[in-house]
Amino acid sequence: MAVTTMNSRERILKLFSGEPVDRVPCFSGMGNVTTEGLKTLGYKFAAVHLDARMMAESAATTPKLFGFESAVVPFDLTVEAEALGCQINVYAHSEDILYPTIKEKVIHNEDEMDIEVPQGVEKKGRVPLVKEAIEMLKKDIGEEFAIGTYVLGPFTLAGQIMELNDLLKLSFKKPDKTGQLLDKLADVIIKIAREYESVGVDYITVREMGATSDVLSPRVFKNLILPYLKKIFAELKGNTVLHICGKTNDIVGFMMESGTKAISVDQKNDIAETRKKLGPQALIFGNYDPYNVLVTGDEETVRSTMRKCIDDGVSAVWPGCDIWPTVPPENMKAMMDEIKK
Amino acid sequence: MVSEEKRREILERLKNGVIQYDEDAVKEAAQEAVEIGMDANEAIFDGLVSGMEEVGRLFEEQEYFVPELLMCADALYAGLDILKPHVRQMDLGVKGSVVIGTVEGDVHDIGKNIVKMMFDVAGFDVYDLGRDVPLDKFVEEQIKTDSDLVCLSAMMTTTMVGMQKVINKLREKNPDVKIMIGGAPVSQELAEKWGADGYAPDANNALQEAINMVSALKRMREEAEANKKA
Repeated sequence: MAVTTMNSRERILKLFSGEPVDRVPCFSGMGNVTTEGLKTLGYKFAAVHLDARMMAESAATTPKLFGFESAVVPFDLTVEAEALGCQINVYAHSEDILYPTIKEKVIHNEDEMDIEVPQGVEKKGRVPLVKEAIEMLKKDIGEEFAIGTYVLGPFTLAGQIMELNDLLKLSFKKPDKTGQLLDKLADVIIKIAREYESVGVDYITVREMGATSDVLSPRVFKNLILPYLKKIFAELKGNTVLHICGKTNDIVGFMMESGTKAISVDQKNDIAETRKKLGPQALIFGNYDPYNVLVTGDEETVRSTMRKCIDDGVSAVWPGCDIWPTVPPENMKAMMDEIKK
Repeated sequence: MVSEEKRREILERLKNGVIQYDEDAVKEAAQEAVEIGMDANEAIFDGLVSGMEEVGRLFEEQEYFVPELLMCADALYAGLDILKPHVRQMDLGVKGSVVIGTVEGDVHDIGKNIVKMMFDVAGFDVYDLGRDVPLDKFVEEQIKTDSDLVCLSAMMTTTMVGMQKVINKLREKNPDVKIMIGGAPVSQELAEKWGADGYAPDANNALQEAINMVSALKRMREEAEANKKA
């Protein structure tokens, strides 16, 4: 057996640059904070979204406690929408795990779709806070572990700043008008992602789950969504991942065509088929169910699921969504142990 | 008296209007149905619902996706708004009231709205709590309205665990209430584990479930009609 000569960060960076790695990495581009980790810090989930230090410390617990190979900030999906002027709710009253949501949208009807993007949007809301948290993570554990962040894709972001109902219907009835909005949002996403790149984040995941084939046809994906994803990936210089959950087998080709370095899919994707379709070089991350396997499954289920991901041909073992915080520590340990076998 | 030919023509227009998400066509046909004194129940069930059944099939076959489904729903509502005031109360032996909403932390309500639509069609009293609903609100509303059925929806894994709490609380107060849960992360296994009576993992299944329910009502209606004639 070969002596491991690479640490987690090196392994992940080599993977992105197409160099050989000693084993399949196990990391994520989505939130992976755990209640176990929060407990060691004495933080409430509702409190960690609004403070850079608390956010960074919380994110660092997953690699520190379990050897998970990346730390990712933020933990919620409202950063870009907030920068665009939406009001958010962090459910400060709640002892439960509730992710922040949008309280007040900026587009209320079709006539308001021609939005004016605020000057310096990349300095607004919590973008500076996330940027600061990335810097802190880099200092804290950035030598050994990969530090990641994410932005929403333009369609998913549009669904945050206006009624999803309206957006979906307009994507069909008025694709031109919808496209104009997506184009503006793509620019916003590029600006925000560049902020994160400027402090040396190791990789950025673009989460475009709103455009899953459970919702939109592959044809609409190709015509309406893909052009703006292409625009984003053409502008980003660093390592990128395009994540879409739900049904994706019919669009993995388009996902790759977007110009992203890697794609991320969830448990609904047939990885073996995707691997066959995209070839041996394609970076395919996936695809275990972060709730029904990692939280409610037993250790054996966790181990066999990780094994199956690897056997099916993933380039990195990676969850289908955010890791749900209440994951039992034994399962996190079993996952990491199985990967290293 | 409405001629058989005219009756068929209007039903066909209602049905096709829903399938082709043509709100104006549905409105026109519904208006005409009312003007010529057609049975509104028949227009709803054999026109609008038949159309939605076909939409469900097209969705299943991935001819239609969610945008089309939403537009078809708009067309159905356009007809329902016109026909509903003319509906004869059906006696189906079902009390038919439902509390429905999306659990706290979740702002996705498309699946919920699709299920709600079929309850509206079936003539249920629908108490729609909307989205991002605090968990206790479901329990309060069920008690207040004495509803037979509570439908909980969550689109994201991150919010679905709240459903378990609502189910426990509801069961505590009212062991007989029927509970249906829905949303992408929901599974048969979870539904059973948490003690829900039914589940629907996605909009398609929610639509199918709701259509099955309404189709069952439609059959009951036909049987009731047949019995009356016999």
